[in-house]
Amino acid sequence: MNFWARITNPEDRHPFFDQIEKLFKNRTGVAGLIIITLFVLTSILAPAISPHDPIENSLYDQLKPPVWKEGGSTKNLLGTDDLGRDMLSRLIYGARVSLTLGIVSVGIALLFGSMLGALAGYYKGWPDNVIMRIMDIILAFPYILLAIVIVAYLGPGLRNAMIAIGIINIPRFARIIRASAIEEYEKDYVTAARAVGASNRRIIFNAIFPNCLSPIIVQASLGFGEAILSGAGLSFLGLGAQPPLSEWGAMIAEGRSMILRAWWVMTFPGIAILFAVLGFNLLGDGLRDALDPRLRD
Amino acid sequence: MSAEHLLEVRNLKTYFDVRGGVLKAVDDVSFTIEAGETLGLVGESGCGKTVTANSIMRLVPIPPGRIAGGEILFEGVDVLKLTASEMRKVRGNKISMIFQEPMTSLNPVFTVGDQVAEVISLHKKLSQREIRDRVIEAFRLVRIPAPESRINEYPHQMSGGMRQRVIIAMALACNPKLMIADEPSTALDVTIQAQILDLMNNLKEETGASILFITHDLGVIAEMAQRVAVMYAGKIMEAADADTLFGEPKHPYTIGLMTSIPVLGIGKKEKRLSTIPGVVPSLFKLPPGCLFNERCSVAHKECGHLEPPMIDLGHGHIVRCHNHA
Repeated sequence: MNFWARITNPEDRHPFFDQIEKLFKNRTGVAGLIIITLFVLTSILAPAISPHDPIENSLYDQLKPPVWKEGGSTKNLLGTDDLGRDMLSRLIYGARVSLTLGIVSVGIALLFGSMLGALAGYYKGWPDNVIMRIMDIILAFPYILLAIVIVAYLGPGLRNAMIAIGIINIPRFARIIRASAIEEYEKDYVTAARAVGASNRRIIFNAIFPNCLSPIIVQASLGFGEAILSGAGLSFLGLGAQPPLSEWGAMIAEGRSMILRAWWVMTFPGIAILFAVLGFNLLGDGLRDALDPRLRD
Repeated sequence: MSAEHLLEVRNLKTYFDVRGGVLKAVDDVSFTIEAGETLGLVGESGCGKTVTANSIMRLVPIPPGRIAGGEILFEGVDVLKLTASEMRKVRGNKISMIFQEPMTSLNPVFTVGDQVAEVISLHKKLSQREIRDRVIEAFRLVRIPAPESRINEYPHQMSGGMRQRVIIAMALACNPKLMIADEPSTALDVTIQAQILDLMNNLKEETGASILFITHDLGVIAEMAQRVAVMYAGKIMEAADADTLFGEPKHPYTIGLMTSIPVLGIGKKEKRLSTIPGVVPSLFKLPPGCLFNERCSVAHKECGHLEPPMIDLGHGHIVRCHNHA
């Protein structure tokens, strides 16, 4: 049928599009969406748009300042680091690392968190107690400290950093989904599903779970920003991405000894982290405004 | 065995263990439903109608609920003894349920067609194509216009009456032997109510399914049921075929209910509507003797301490009252 009419006509379109429209009317949400789109495009197109190889050393171009400073050149728009590597290229490739880190760690947290949360909220009683007390234990540790412990146990490296960030983010998803599942459990359509002979598993995943999606989407977006931040933190401490991989947190760590001589080595990755996290937080807020039924007018 | 009954409930006791004691929501209830028959179950709010229905479907949450005794024989098999997976094969397939609230009984995130299709796919091994055809057929059966396009709509796009039709279509989808209708018309306005009741009467004739019709509305019961059971505080007070019950009610509670129906008309001498004095007793503090004695106009001494037995007046008319012993 007429595809466009099904999206634009408020009468017979899927309610999903009502929320998309609401998101597009929300300025913070759109700002976040623009930043994230740029961020994603940058990481996908990294090989095509970066002017240099991010790990290529150049002995003659060490610590070149950005192009607008005295001594800068158009060859290295944002200058070079102490090994003569092009800052712009490293930042562009760093976007890839951060994006992967966000997807993997939020994916881990989302998968396990929503499963545990849904089980706890549906079965209540002792499964609820066991699951949620474990979540409380995870939450009792300072966020980054627990990540350090896990990475220390698994060994440093980007992959283990992703796993660690995933694990420490499980409770936030579990709690939210448990709360929504408990709320949805009381609704009549759950009883109706049971009355037509649906099994517990079917009721949890086919009836309850799709109704808990809005808080999950909001939380995933906010969690994405936080995961990037924690990933950069771990890399800064030397527990995440290992050299020569260009990761924003690691770049800050490398540049901190030169901050007085070459401020750009440390500043640009910091700005990159700032914008990436800001983008996801803005989108998360926008999504919350669009999806949260309590904020609907 | 009693093979001639489609459903036979024998001495069903459903209790709830709650703080402060045991709530006897359903206490020693027995009734039968024959094939193709509609049994009306009437009573005030909180008298145990819905709990009876949920007990048959095994939807009573355990704990706090528990089936303290009795048997529910469906086609000669005690559903209370079935395993969870056997019970799932009965629900929606042989016994289905129509709910009170059409606004909330449908899952808001799926199309109505998908929800009816789900019922079919749970119980029948059919291809996607065949399932779709059966969904459309079910929609046609419940007189939803333009079923081919309506199946793609979401619940929020439909009116209350249409949603109730979808719920009935879900209940009918697998050609059940018994439909339990728990106040299916209460949440609808009067004109839609009449349409839905008409529809259910027609469908009963078309499909031959029996209906357990639960309501607090005697007018609705008169229109729907062949036999009627009146419940009060967890017990059946009187049961008879509809004509007898409405023609010559025997139990003082039934008589009280009949006289408290407002009648439209000019020249009525009695201006005020008659009522039953008092309130339904709390299930925590049931009175000794007859449950109704504190509100009864014809109670005598015996009623205050001796519980009346079920008295058979013949022709399937039973009443729980000392006055008819």
